[in-house]
Amino acid sequence: MIVAKPHPIRAIAVPVLTGAALAIWAFPVLWALLTSFKTERDVLAYPPSLIFTPTLANYHDVLFGATSIVPNLWSSVIVAVGATFFTVVFAVPAAYALARLRYPAKRASGFYVLATQMLPPVGLIIPYYLVLQRVGGLDTYFGLILIDLTLTLPFAIWLMVSYFEDVPLEMEEAALLDRAGRFGALWHVILPQVRGGIAVTTIFVFLNTWNEFLFAVVIGGNRVRPVTVAMFNFMSVEQTQWARLAAGATLAMLPVILIGLFAQRHIVKGLTVGAVKGGGRR
Amino acid sequence: MSADATTRTGRPGNASRGSIRLEGIVKRHGATTVLHDVDLAIEPGEFFVLLGPSGSGKTTTLRILAGLESVSAGSVTMDGEDVTTTPPGERDVAMVFQSYALYPHMSVAANIGFPLRMVKVPAAEVARAVEAAATKVGIQHLLARTPGQLSGGQQQRCALARAIVREPRLFLLDEPLSNLDAKLRLETRLELHSLQRNLGVTTVYVTHDQEEAMTLADRIAVFMDGRIVQVGTPREVFATPQTRAVAGFIGTPPMNLLEGVWQGDTVTVAGHAFPVGAHAAAPRDVTLGVRPGDVRVADGGLPAHVERVEDLGDTAVLSYRAAGALVKQKTDRTVVREGDDVTLGFAPGSAHLFDRTTGARL
Repeated sequence: MIVAKPHPIRAIAVPVLTGAALAIWAFPVLWALLTSFKTERDVLAYPPSLIFTPTLANYHDVLFGATSIVPNLWSSVIVAVGATFFTVVFAVPAAYALARLRYPAKRASGFYVLATQMLPPVGLIIPYYLVLQRVGGLDTYFGLILIDLTLTLPFAIWLMVSYFEDVPLEMEEAALLDRAGRFGALWHVILPQVRGGIAVTTIFVFLNTWNEFLFAVVIGGNRVRPVTVAMFNFMSVEQTQWARLAAGATLAMLPVILIGLFAQRHIVKGLTVGAVKGGGRR
Repeated sequence: MSADATTRTGRPGNASRGSIRLEGIVKRHGATTVLHDVDLAIEPGEFFVLLGPSGSGKTTTLRILAGLESVSAGSVTMDGEDVTTTPPGERDVAMVFQSYALYPHMSVAANIGFPLRMVKVPAAEVARAVEAAATKVGIQHLLARTPGQLSGGQQQRCALARAIVREPRLFLLDEPLSNLDAKLRLETRLELHSLQRNLGVTTVYVTHDQEEAMTLADRIAVFMDGRIVQVGTPREVFATPQTRAVAGFIGTPPMNLLEGVWQGDTVTVAGHAFPVGAHAAAPRDVTLGVRPGDVRVADGGLPAHVERVEDLGDTAVLSYRAAGALVKQKTDRTVVREGDDVTLGFAPGSAHLFDRTTGARL
């Protein structure tokens, strides 16, 4: 980590640019949040009104009404948590091996992992559909999680490798000499130092699987219908229920934002853990 | 030697512990051989230094002792037990790495106690041992900090404490002073020496700094190109280097080496005959070695041109161009100036002769 003295231009440019980026990012979120408290009539008012009588009717509808998205939220939780769990469980040892162990074709396999990301998922959806149909995996959590893994695992491995590579080999050797054994070294010395990386990976995978729509709509069905697919139902040929859609979207965003806030501490910690020698004193 | 070392430790209980043997060690990385048939016997309580230039195989030897590298051939024996294939954690050895390799997410106390916790030593006992080890190296007031909050010297002590806390049979130190500044290095060197004497634990110490080797070692093994070329006390290695390469490596500055022909009682260098204390019947191509401290400005000697005078305060290092080679003199009295032309001789009995082709001492 290189800490440079801020250049005068940088001192101005950084807050301005981050402010602009934040505004662009925050505007639709705030818009959705506002819309979720409006009645359908207020939503369609022109010019759009900032002053209106807020209502919780939309939230009541999407939580307890006929079009409740609670089962879909639950569906999303199962898919996202399941996919995230298995991604991390597989990615951590795989990345550790890629970062540490010497074996033939290591570079090639590392590139292969990344190369799988270069295929557009939409090109894979038909083969996946056919394969899952054959094994009875359509409209099952198993099927959707499995397909999500093909999407998340390569990137998660690739992300984790760099974190493992940042842990000096000598530290692991020190742990071996300190009688920790290979698993002890991994558990007590290596993993605590890559926990920032694990947190980042977890968030990334959770976000991706929570937001995932394409596979969910094709592989899913009546039993497995994540919230992204369910919200699609608020749009129909006759009309779009903007206010309910906004309420649903707000609820769908909530866990993602909460997890982001919670994990932020770990991410920052993961980036600032002292290095081998004179960490933090450079 | 061994009896000497053990009595000096004052801990006869350790006398039987920490005897190390390397026999016929060969290490290959693919097609390249980094260690050729290395044999070494280290006695209990000894402070043994592996000295050599980088890439000479000294660190590889240390890592083989640690169990971090496998051997291609040969055996490692500790206290009579063959540990050639024993994993690092089961060899009862502790190591201080050049980078210290402290665990950044743990406090100093947790770092020092780690090797004990890994073998399920009760917490109260760990705390006592940590306190004792930290006190020995003078960092008992820093136990609650993390390594990132320590200075380089303090980190080094923390690494030492982590090694001594378990009372192993062997300490392995890989250039432990190289990351310290010059002044701290000298202080730490002295402390390290007395710490090792007090603990009486067999110590193998890797360095490329011959001054460290000379001051710390009971015995030195000099490594060159993956071979041990000489084993001996610092005095022996300095006074009677067994090869031209060792002669050219040991000493600051190292020994002057001049090509000459040895016949009778003299060696002729660039047409000038130097008397040496040995006799050769037939003419023989040799390398004449003279320590910079033994070079004298003398009448009727080898013509030389003064190229450079480096004044170090109490001593000076003079560089001469003579017989087509660079000759260094170390003296406390500078009688020449840059650009002078003088003639050089050397102190009687100070000549070292090496075979020109094999480099072996004659």
